[in-house]
Amino acid sequence: MTRIRTGNLGGATAWILHRPHPSVQGLARQLGVIGLEVREAWSDLPTAAIEADFIFYDADMGHDEQFPWAPGQSPMPMIALIGSEAPGRLRWAMEMGAHAQLLKPMSDKGVYAALLVARSNFDRANASEALIADLQSRLSARQTIVRAVMIFVMKGKTEAEAYDLLRQTAMGWRVTIETAAERLVANHSNERGTDDGRRIDPA
Amino acid sequence: MKRVVDIGVLLSRSGMYAALSRASRDGVFRGVEEVNADPNIDVSFRVTERDPDGRLDRYAPLCREILRGSQARHIFGCITSASRKEVIPELERFDGILWYPVPYEGFEASERVAYMHSCPNQHLLPLLDWALPTLGTRAYLVGSNYIWGWEMAQIARERVAAAGGQVLGDRYLPIGDTELDHIISDIRALKPDFILNSLVGDSSYAFLARLAQLKQEAEFADSLTVLSCNFTECEIEAAGEAAEGLVSAGPWFQPDGGVDGSFHEMARQSVHELALLLQGRPGAEELPLAELLHMALRSGRSTRLDPVHLHARQPAIIARLENGRFNEIKRLPAMRADPYLTQRSQPAQTGCRLKVVS
Repeated sequence: MTRIRTGNLGGATAWILHRPHPSVQGLARQLGVIGLEVREAWSDLPTAAIEADFIFYDADMGHDEQFPWAPGQSPMPMIALIGSEAPGRLRWAMEMGAHAQLLKPMSDKGVYAALLVARSNFDRANASEALIADLQSRLSARQTIVRAVMIFVMKGKTEAEAYDLLRQTAMGWRVTIETAAERLVANHSNERGTDDGRRIDPA
Repeated sequence: MKRVVDIGVLLSRSGMYAALSRASRDGVFRGVEEVNADPNIDVSFRVTERDPDGRLDRYAPLCREILRGSQARHIFGCITSASRKEVIPELERFDGILWYPVPYEGFEASERVAYMHSCPNQHLLPLLDWALPTLGTRAYLVGSNYIWGWEMAQIARERVAAAGGQVLGDRYLPIGDTELDHIISDIRALKPDFILNSLVGDSSYAFLARLAQLKQEAEFADSLTVLSCNFTECEIEAAGEAAEGLVSAGPWFQPDGGVDGSFHEMARQSVHELALLLQGRPGAEELPLAELLHMALRSGRSTRLDPVHLHARQPAIIARLENGRFNEIKRLPAMRADPYLTQRSQPAQTGCRLKVVS
């Protein structure tokens, strides 16, 4: 493990979205001790907060309009400050995308852990989303590959030969099989579109 | 005329790390003696003491006993991080402050603890920055099986990796355990350039003794340098000649070849620091520590503790144990504590490149 555990927290910016309250000072103090720059806001988060590394937000009195992004779409880790554990408030806090939580009254405890947990959850959520997008695109690429193979099959190749031909074409073009298949399918559609009258019957 | 201020002492006179806690305890009582005898200080301390016997589960109830049973708000005590973490909830509940005058692993900044010794940017990192270019980059880590041992190894692992070095292995022993065969055979096989020893008390002495035997073999004669951030003068007697050559880092080494060491000295200085903060301010012992420090700073006094995170400024001194006394090898001037290791700027003279990996 070569990762520096402090994960560049030094000099990171945290916004605290909470009405002025003595217990916010405990949180601000601890963030300062850990090495973060602290800014406070209430009731709306200014657009500048989009640059922040962390957002701490009040789950008791908060509402959607405070944030310059849609619920769950924060571009940074979010930490809910929870006082009331009523289900409605907790649901809202989760919909906003809590990556970690701190219970009120805030003190010198749990802040460092919340930062690390929030960042880890945020990173994991982003990685999962990226993976899902990649898998989805590969899933749709599989259909394209099948179609490309079918083009060769229609021109008289066996399925194995067709697949091999596709692989060789990809190698020849120095692209992935998925990309090669995409091009072949596109060309084939174009041929069919422009040369409508002169369709070659592959059989 | 001095006013009497009650203080508490929570240090073990027996158990696996008694040499350390006795040094700390002697330091507290020396400090109290000096303060009480000083006519220029308007405070005199009266001690309420409890002895946890080195047993972890005794610390919290005895801390509570001091805070509830006496007027004492300020307690001097704890050696292990485990015991410190045990008492913090009691301090919060019963409005106490712990003066903690021994080295620790960082990653804590309670508003109720005065961290009077040093944390890794003041001991371990300067020690490794000296060791890596001097001894080589192949490290072996041993430690007691609790947070001190684990976190020291973790920080060392990151620093060694950042310097392009390699941690060949790490092993942990329960506090007091002296079953060392597997560690010694590891070291014999791996031949590290240096060993970071974060064992505490009896385990540490047993380890040093076994290692000294190994070093009698020609192959290991001038190698296997042992590094430590918790071995001080107060353990020289217990460890005996086997500790010779050990390189230690700390804020203070005794100039006259004495055996009190920094555990004693920082405990003594802690008592003086509190006396200075209370000087001329009747009732100030009831105030939160940060407020006491801000008041002192406003009146133009300098304080050892940082009012933001309550950690002491300390120099980093690296010293080698030779002929039963520590000789200074290197000294970095007093620096601010960085308990969460988040300050980017590192001392320029480290001689090894620090790579920050995000």
